[in-house]
Amino acid sequence: MATLSLRSIRKVLGANAILKGIDLDVQSGAFVVLVGPSGCGKSTLLRTIAGLETPDEGSIKLDDKDVTRAEPRERDIAMVFQSYALYPHLTVRDNLAFGLRLRGESESKIKARVDEVSQMLGLGALLDRLPKDMSGGQRQRVAMGRAIARRPKLFLFDEPLSNLDAALRNQVRIEIKKLHASLGATMIYVTHDQVEAMTLADQLVVLNSGKVEQKGPPLEVYARPASKFVAGFLGSPSMNFTDAVVSDDSTSAVATGLRAPIDRQRFGALERGRKVIVGIRPHDVTVRKGESSAHGYRDGAAPTEIIVSVEVVEAMGFEAYAHGPVGGAPFVARVEATADALPRRGDKLALSVEPAHVHLFDPESGRSLEGAS
Amino acid sequence: MNARALRWTLAARARLALALLSWLVLIVCAGEAQAQRTITVWHPYRGAEQRAFDQVLRAFERDRPGVSVQTLAVPFDAYAAKLEAAIPRGNGPDLFVDAHERIPSYLARRIIVSAESAIAAVPRTSDGLDLEPIALEAVQANGERYGVPLSLKCLALFVDEELWERAGRPSLDSLASIAAARTSLPTGAYPLVYYASNAYFHSAILHGLGGQLFDPQRGAYAFEGPAALESLALVQRLLADRVIPPEVDGASVTPYFRSGRAMTVISGPWLVGELGDARRYRVAVLPRVREGGRAMSPFVTVEVAFLASNAHAPGLAAELATFLASPEAARLRASVGRQVVATRSVWSEAELANDPVLAAFRRAANAGRVMPTHNNMRLSWEPANQAIRRALRDPQATRVAVEQGRRRYDDASRPLPAKRSALPLQLTLGALALALAFRSVQRARDPEFRAAVKRSVPAYAYVTHAVVIVALLVVLPLVLGATTSLYAGRDGALEYVGGANYWDIITARGGSLFASGTFYTVLLVTVLWTIANLTLHVSIGVVLAIILSRPLLKLRAIYRVLLIIPWAVPSYVTALAWKGMFHRQTGAMNAILAALGVEPISWFAQFSTAFTANVVTNTWLGFPFMMVVTIGALAAIPKDLYEAAEVDGATPWQQFRHITLPLLRPTLLPAVSMGAVWTFNQFNVIFLVSGGEPDGATEILVTEAYRWAFTRQAQYGYAAAYAVLIFGVLVLGTRLLERLTLGKQGGGK
Repeated sequence: MATLSLRSIRKVLGANAILKGIDLDVQSGAFVVLVGPSGCGKSTLLRTIAGLETPDEGSIKLDDKDVTRAEPRERDIAMVFQSYALYPHLTVRDNLAFGLRLRGESESKIKARVDEVSQMLGLGALLDRLPKDMSGGQRQRVAMGRAIARRPKLFLFDEPLSNLDAALRNQVRIEIKKLHASLGATMIYVTHDQVEAMTLADQLVVLNSGKVEQKGPPLEVYARPASKFVAGFLGSPSMNFTDAVVSDDSTSAVATGLRAPIDRQRFGALERGRKVIVGIRPHDVTVRKGESSAHGYRDGAAPTEIIVSVEVVEAMGFEAYAHGPVGGAPFVARVEATADALPRRGDKLALSVEPAHVHLFDPESGRSLEGAS
Repeated sequence: MNARALRWTLAARARLALALLSWLVLIVCAGEAQAQRTITVWHPYRGAEQRAFDQVLRAFERDRPGVSVQTLAVPFDAYAAKLEAAIPRGNGPDLFVDAHERIPSYLARRIIVSAESAIAAVPRTSDGLDLEPIALEAVQANGERYGVPLSLKCLALFVDEELWERAGRPSLDSLASIAAARTSLPTGAYPLVYYASNAYFHSAILHGLGGQLFDPQRGAYAFEGPAALESLALVQRLLADRVIPPEVDGASVTPYFRSGRAMTVISGPWLVGELGDARRYRVAVLPRVREGGRAMSPFVTVEVAFLASNAHAPGLAAELATFLASPEAARLRASVGRQVVATRSVWSEAELANDPVLAAFRRAANAGRVMPTHNNMRLSWEPANQAIRRALRDPQATRVAVEQGRRRYDDASRPLPAKRSALPLQLTLGALALALAFRSVQRARDPEFRAAVKRSVPAYAYVTHAVVIVALLVVLPLVLGATTSLYAGRDGALEYVGGANYWDIITARGGSLFASGTFYTVLLVTVLWTIANLTLHVSIGVVLAIILSRPLLKLRAIYRVLLIIPWAVPSYVTALAWKGMFHRQTGAMNAILAALGVEPISWFAQFSTAFTANVVTNTWLGFPFMMVVTIGALAAIPKDLYEAAEVDGATPWQQFRHITLPLLRPTLLPAVSMGAVWTFNQFNVIFLVSGGEPDGATEILVTEAYRWAFTRQAQYGYAAAYAVLIFGVLVLGTRLLERLTLGKQGGGK
């Protein structure tokens, strides 16, 4: 268990600035997930923590010890690679023992550790196999076992589940969560998968083009995204964005087919006529029964209304998504999936949304307008 | 078509046919007549000798209208082989020129006929035939004379006038008086330079001391006894007193003389052409071996006009042979071709008598000794050369060297194994064939088998060409080679001896198993050679590959190409270049050592240095392959394994030891076993760099086999047995390697 603190980490590869000043504090025992789209620098950041890359600027402190320029072997960190990077010429047993052997541990201690780890991960039957004789899931577990066996200060995971099929991914995800709980270790986990990010993290760090967009507990980040980027990145299907203007009475944001209530407590008094981006999650709308009709909305008559001309309906079984344009942008609404309630192509769907679920962003900066004024 | 027209057509056709027939007859007759007056002559001459020879032939044609002589200048290397192939098939010459030493071999192959008739036509002088007696002696075999002697070749003493004058015009009468000039010569110059370690040159001294290399009467090796020891002691003294320079070979005599660093050299007529006008020199007879003693007496080779068997115009060929020896022709050959002609009468003419070079060579030849033509003579050179080289290198071992020469000769000339009946083998093979045939017939009856064969017909069609090619190029030679190993004989006359060749090799012919030159000793050297090479190839190849694989290295592509070049150059070119670099006087290696202040090394004088020279050369040739293989294998190792190891706590060395090496193994192992086979059979390097020096100690199995086949009277059967044993050793070796590595792979790390 260890604490980690990064201060204004910068890294340039060739002409591209990969990391543009990252600050991050990781508490002992925390599970931090670095999430972001491809190329956001999350893997580079992880490799920088591991010591496989050296930052151009900034400092890394591990347990208050500056390790910015230290070799990986001096950091006592373990890393699970996306490809697992198992040593193909070594059996599972030797793979697990590799790091311990390099550290010159006694054979009896190595044996005890290997047994302990293999029990923890259920690798007992695989100990004498070579990596090529195992399935992806088994290899993944060996890769984790190799990290655990060393009992490092810090665990790093670099997209460890991306090579597994969906069912296995869910299962291993839960195992990792359990492992974290039982080891109580500090873990940093990189993924581009928001489900993994949401489910695993104590602390979520959303990265975008080399910068931290937002960090915090996952539910908080989800509920109160600090920027349009974070809002769009978390949640599936992702948040709907529509260009709108603040209405004359400043109570709602209006666009063609859209009138969204503005929560004054969160956004304060917005200047009328101000251009905003309205963000509404597909799950946060409700269909207004009986009023979904062809006549559209009447200004002032309804405080909140979204009219979607349905183009496509995707029925998932437990729910369905209706797609159609609102205010010139595509819009997705979650609807009940019961056969009789399912909208059809060409329907005009009237939706309502709670003020608490309306997010407003500045069109220029993309930052949330919450608490802005 | 009406009847008249038809008749006309037939008549016309008949006339046409008749005309054609008569033409044909005319052409054939004319051809016949032409053939009778054409004579074909082959010769190995070049330059002035060729010009002279052509002039002689034109003179022959001028005197005989209607006769035309066609000449073919055959390259010397392939001369004998071409003659032996062409004459029995009727495509050969009517007359050809060659050295007298080949008489026994040509007689054995029946490609020459007696030349008594041609010799009988040679004019006579008051004291017999107009030919040098020593030359007539040379063409004598079985009481008859084969061929008309044309010219004589032997060694003589070339004297650099300028150095000789500077040395105070010392007497050149004896070796001792020449040696005495040493003190008055400028530094770097030697009183005498010659190819001292060669038996041909050494024989002149040996003869002067009453010894001989080979006794033609008894047909036995004779380089032993007091005369041999005395001759070697004499040369050792010359070397020790710096009268002659150390380690001179055939090629380095000329540079010594041209650059004015040799007051005298012993060489043959060929040196005249190489010198040109570079130095003012004269030619003299060889000196006496000691004051008041006998003169050195060189071997004399006689050039002979041979009458070929199977000749188209034997009469004309004999006439031409006589003409070639006539004074008219001899005059041309001497004045234009600078030959020491064997026709005596022309030497009394002023022009020749006053020619200092030719006259000196003639005197030298008449003081010389005809090169014996006995079959075993050729077997004597290698043992004698080795004995001389060893004795000159290590005077303490003179006696041993001479004894070793004797043993080597006995080895090479050993009686052939007893001829055996091939009946048991034939019976066994016959029975096997019969059993096989029986089994095939039985199988062919099986309808299922027939159906299967029918189904596979298209498949057979696809593989046929490959099977045929492999059978012709691989299987057939292998079988023929293996069969040859059951035969023994010299010069191609093979007789079935069963496994006697193998028995001789395996038991070292009753001698000590690990004496020099036995199968076991050579095998040991070969194994050492293979291991030393592979170790260096792999380690250098891997290290360079790792350096070249660094992504940060600048100009990587250029280095790669440069390092692959040694591999791309033909190996014999490289081998010859390295041999040059290991030369004691002129080589780059000793130049570098000298610059570092180290004494020059005679690289090929001891086993260790000669072996090192071979290994260095072959390493130069061999590492690029391992490097290329390793570069490929390194590229296939995922980068994240290194990162994983780094995070796991591995130092760079531990990464190399625990990741790189084990992961290179699967790729390197096949390369290593291939490399092992190549190195085991690396003929070029051994043959061209050390040539087996010293004393055959650095020979490997395949060069040893070569020596049996090509320098020891073509003992093909014995050589083939060697080849089969090499094959067996390699099969066993690669199997073992495979077994070893498979076993290790199971063991994990």
